[in-house]
Amino acid sequence: MDATSRPAVVIDNGSGYTKMGFAGNVEPCFILPSVVAVNESFLNQSRASSSKANWLAQHSAGVMADLDFFIGDEALAKSRSSNTYNLSYPIKHGQVDNWDAMERYWQQCIFNYLRCDPEDHYFLLTESPLTAPESREYTGEIMFETFNVPGLYIAVNSVLALAAGYTTSKCEMTGVVVDAGDGATYVVPVADGYVIGSSIKSIPIAGKDVTLFIQQLMRERGENVPPEDSFEVARKVKEMHCYTCSDIVKEFNKHDKEPAKYIKQWRGIKPKTGAPYSCDIGYERFLGPEVFFNPEIYSSDFATPLPAVIDKCIQSAPIDTRRALYKNIVLSGGSTMFKDFGRRLQRDLKKIVDARVLASEARLGGEIKSQPVEVNVVSHPIQRFAVWFGGSVLASTPEFFAACHTKAEYEEYGASICRTNPVFKGMY
Amino acid sequence: MILLQSHSRFLLQTLLNRVQNLEKAVELDYHWVEFDDVRYHILVSMKNPNVLLLSVSLPIPPPEAVFMGGLPFGAIEAIKATYGVVVQILDPPRDGFNLTLKLNLGKLPPDEGSTSSFSKEHPAIPHLKSICTLCEVLEASKINSCYFRRFLCGLEHRYALLVKIASVREVVLGAPLRVVLKHLSSRTVIPGIDGLLALVHRSKESFFLVPQPDKVTVIFPMRFKDSIDIAFATSFLQEFVEARRTAGLNSAPPCLWSPTPPLELKEAPAEALSANAGFVSFVIFPRHVEGKKLDRTVWNLSTFHAYVSYHVKCSEGFMHTRMRRRVESMIQALDRAKPGVEGRKKSPNSRSFKRLSLKEARANSIS
Repeated sequence: MDATSRPAVVIDNGSGYTKMGFAGNVEPCFILPSVVAVNESFLNQSRASSSKANWLAQHSAGVMADLDFFIGDEALAKSRSSNTYNLSYPIKHGQVDNWDAMERYWQQCIFNYLRCDPEDHYFLLTESPLTAPESREYTGEIMFETFNVPGLYIAVNSVLALAAGYTTSKCEMTGVVVDAGDGATYVVPVADGYVIGSSIKSIPIAGKDVTLFIQQLMRERGENVPPEDSFEVARKVKEMHCYTCSDIVKEFNKHDKEPAKYIKQWRGIKPKTGAPYSCDIGYERFLGPEVFFNPEIYSSDFATPLPAVIDKCIQSAPIDTRRALYKNIVLSGGSTMFKDFGRRLQRDLKKIVDARVLASEARLGGEIKSQPVEVNVVSHPIQRFAVWFGGSVLASTPEFFAACHTKAEYEEYGASICRTNPVFKGMY
Repeated sequence: MILLQSHSRFLLQTLLNRVQNLEKAVELDYHWVEFDDVRYHILVSMKNPNVLLLSVSLPIPPPEAVFMGGLPFGAIEAIKATYGVVVQILDPPRDGFNLTLKLNLGKLPPDEGSTSSFSKEHPAIPHLKSICTLCEVLEASKINSCYFRRFLCGLEHRYALLVKIASVREVVLGAPLRVVLKHLSSRTVIPGIDGLLALVHRSKESFFLVPQPDKVTVIFPMRFKDSIDIAFATSFLQEFVEARRTAGLNSAPPCLWSPTPPLELKEAPAEALSANAGFVSFVIFPRHVEGKKLDRTVWNLSTFHAYVSYHVKCSEGFMHTRMRRRVESMIQALDRAKPGVEGRKKSPNSRSFKRLSLKEARANSIS
């Protein structure tokens, strides 16, 4: 039986969560935090201090130590319950940071979670548009050498996010992808399936910063949250209660007038003592997502709001693609899941565009009327794993297998073949 | 992780999810593939949210293996014995699958009423995500009543049943092996089977059993595709046999590895005897299949190839880790050997490339 007759494995490694599953399904099988808990207690012990019998025990434990690790939620649970495990986050800001941890992570994904034989399946992995070609080579090396995969395709995650949109409406492979994950936010213009590399804009504000901001707000207000738990609580608050408002001042007024309606309660249990506690969640519900629209409330280094960045990005793209780009702005990533995020973005962006159109008309003296620019922010219910879904759709087309780098090609030419991954027919 | 778990993680997760949100009707249509070419398919329709159709397709059997109606012998009986009334076998199975099970999730013990009333009484547990989180919450909130105990006991029972359903692969594919080993524990041989017995474990590959009243010899021809894998597997298996001789493992099944087919296989067809990583044989005695040990023995034997292949991949990964570490340390040594790096670093604001005279350069390198 040929590997092309089996569904391909699609793994989307994000800095916050990893989405994995088999092509052709609508949802990933697992969504796990991208974290590895490694037992390194045997690595750091000095050899000299132990006697010989002890050494043997240590040696065999050390041999097992390379299998003694956990990923995802299990890793978080292990590190909480015992202190022999160290957490390591293999992906930072959308780039693989620790290749050892990454290799282990993939190993567990394949053997423990998906439980498939990597030799039987083609693989589709994702990367951010700014990843260096060397890191694609590394990925290829690990996939072909360690796991012996028959074929590999490394897709750009923003292109996949666009592909996720096309099944619901029509085949549109031109658009701007606003990809706000946990570690990085990118605005990526794509024309006919090709990324316009020179116009990619990145923003140093992402899901993690929203969490940090909420944590800071709660701490400054003096909420009764145990300090060791405060980051987790802030994350949960972000995921469960945050929303985007249309106007900060009005929202503050609303909260002040009807606190009972807007202020939520958080109940938890202190991890050390086991005593229950509760705290209020107030303004941070709308101030958290506001970080994207008014970054100055969070950091002084970066003060350009997200709509302005998107506008700048489109303005720097080739002039004949701009209208199409404004028409199809696609949201992807967990940090765009706040309620009404898309509506707010569309409104703010429309304002900027309309102002520019008015200004140019005034400059021309009202003689020439330009066609109004259509601004459209697309949001769909699967935003959280839109990239994975796009990958699943693409990997189930018959053209996918032809576009993959195969094991034979890898053996013939080496890891450098993974540097480029062709845009293939199924994409548009 | 050293041993592969017998239940499919994703299947268990889906079942748990379904059971906990039974009142919420959803459409589910999943298909996925496990190692050794076992395919699964789950179907839940909006109309009938209580009914879950689970289809399984097995690896293609080689000609020498005994199959009845697309299933290994004894599989139907094993399914009926393990699952009871919860599961119904559909005949014929869905197109392209060997077996379709119809699960009625509404009929799981204990009935839905007691769980929902319990959740109502204790609103602190709105979603019973899993047994573990539930236990954590309960331990923390110190709920301790006989009602709770009964509830938990029922829940555990149900959880065990779901795990059993999730390990449907073990039940179906391991059925013939289980029958043979069951007979071994009562020290008899199945009537009508003499000499060699071939069982499928991978697509078009089989392993062999030699049942005898007091012992069963299990022989695996090991095959790998990649030449590196063959080398790794060969040395792994030799180490494996060696490890069996250490003092702590006296009661483990005796285990042998040989590059040529062992004598027991002389009746086997020639194409089944081409194994590029040698032959492993285990001798299973009645003490290895007593009581609860039977399940684990069946699972470990029927997935032995997957186990070896997993460890081959792990050791390859481990070697790569060490190679990377080595390269890193070498690059560090090279970096340290570069002359004049420190001198340049000291003045961060001099961006331009100022050409140094020979004298200055020497002074820099000395300081």
